[in-house]
Amino acid sequence: MSDLPRRGGAEAVAVENLTKVFPISFSRKSIVAVRDLNLNVGAGEVYGLLGPNGSGKSTTLKIILGLVSPTRGATKIFGRDSSLVKSRESVGFLPENPYFYKFLTGQETLRFFGKLCRLNGSALKNRVEQLLEVVGLTNARHQRLSTYSKGMLQRIGLAQALINEPKLVVLDEPTAGVDPAGSRDIRNIIVDLKQRGVTVLLSSHLLGQVQEICDRVGILSKGALVREGRLDELIAIENRNELVLENASESLLKEIEKLAASSNAKLIEQRRSTTTLERLFLEETSDRSEK
Amino acid sequence: MSARIFAIARNTLTELTRQRVFYVLLIFAIALIGSSVFLARFSFQQEFQILKDVSLGAMSIFTSLLAIVATARLISQDIEDRTVYTILAKPVPRWEYLLGKLLGVLLLLAISIAVMTLLFLFIFQAREQTVLNETSRQFSAAPHEQLQAALDAVRATALRHDVFLAVAVIFLKACLLASLTLFVSTFATTNIFTIVVMVAVYFIGHLESTAREYWLTQQSASWLAKSFLAIVALLFPDLQAFNLVDDTVAGVVIPLALFAKTALLGFFYILIYTLAATFVFYGKEL
Repeated sequence: MSDLPRRGGAEAVAVENLTKVFPISFSRKSIVAVRDLNLNVGAGEVYGLLGPNGSGKSTTLKIILGLVSPTRGATKIFGRDSSLVKSRESVGFLPENPYFYKFLTGQETLRFFGKLCRLNGSALKNRVEQLLEVVGLTNARHQRLSTYSKGMLQRIGLAQALINEPKLVVLDEPTAGVDPAGSRDIRNIIVDLKQRGVTVLLSSHLLGQVQEICDRVGILSKGALVREGRLDELIAIENRNELVLENASESLLKEIEKLAASSNAKLIEQRRSTTTLERLFLEETSDRSEK
Repeated sequence: MSARIFAIARNTLTELTRQRVFYVLLIFAIALIGSSVFLARFSFQQEFQILKDVSLGAMSIFTSLLAIVATARLISQDIEDRTVYTILAKPVPRWEYLLGKLLGVLLLLAISIAVMTLLFLFIFQAREQTVLNETSRQFSAAPHEQLQAALDAVRATALRHDVFLAVAVIFLKACLLASLTLFVSTFATTNIFTIVVMVAVYFIGHLESTAREYWLTQQSASWLAKSFLAIVALLFPDLQAFNLVDDTVAGVVIPLALFAKTALLGFFYILIYTLAATFVFYGKEL
């Protein structure tokens, strides 16, 4: 990460006093999509922007990427103002429900986006091969995108976002509408990016997944940031602990209950451990191939 | 040329050639040029004239129509499909994106007009050869000078090199319409709006010079009428100025100076519309 410009600190993304107002045509009214938002995403961090539909997540991401201009405030990527084309040199973006060019094959799509990042020749060829492998679409490389399933489209979308080996990846609802196995694949790719020091900024309302992969989260409501912090700190219940036992006898459990009562602690819940429905689903359908 | 502009232009060309509308229009134009062979044949002069008239007319209408239809959906479709987000989220300036899109359409127009011109030349050469053979047969018993005069008469009504100038101007007119369509599509909300506006521009653009001449030669032409025509001329390109086909068909030689003037006017319009499109697109919220 040492080659990145770090004017103004190690923030990969900096959002300062951001407000976005959309005027409504033929009306004096307007919609405030984002309200006085301040947000920082540190380099190498996985940050989850949460919020219900219409809370301003996508608008914030678009302003960060320079696709929409702010009404007030500023956004920066690695110290560079988002309005500059150069700020997007090491950024990858996957929009919500991407369609891409249906008339292109998977391989042609990646080649096209690679060329937009000035890749060519054998470097482009190798990168395309590598990414098709990473997202598991090598066998579908010559198929036109019009024949791709929702999950395959999302994976090729992720591949194009990674074509230029970005230092920051912005994902807008990356697993929306994708089946659990596809969702797990995308999650694994995000975890891999994190291990390689890539900053990931994602928006989602699928809280379970965010909880699994994000270091920090910010919760948006009606365009304003209502809560932000490290995930483990935000969701920890300070005065409670969990104990998971294996092969514990009935008498041992009673003993623990008694011990707890004698030291002014209270056993609130005791239940049999279960697997998650997701894990069960994945185990039962693990022999599936690309579909 | 920037590699990114070329990548977008090539992608746009691929997109357009993988659509059925292109082939339907091309087949229609080719069929029209081909069928002109079977039209009335009272004399070879008439035949050559009809062949030139129908073929160049078909080329003009087809390329204009293709320019409008192909360009109208490029931007709005990309916005609807969100592909524009993925492209502009890469280090691609908006002007490169627009220029790439426009160049893709211009490449398609160039290919289409090249195919039609080759077909037209092939048919014309074949007909000319047939007429020359027939004339030679008819005058086989006549003196050599008479035969030569008859053959020269045939050659005089055949194609001259300035037909390429007429074709170049047809191409230029289509490029102008493509750049204007691109401009309209940057602020239009639907493809239909763009196409309706452009069809109106097409008709007004062809009629305005006639209206202008008529009104301005009237004694009673008021300042209001003059001002109105001046505004129309600014907003709508004078497409009749790009019609050199009539001269070619009538056998009038196109002066190089006229061609140069027309070409300059075309480049000026294209530049203005492309700049205007870029200006609007830079301010657009995606």
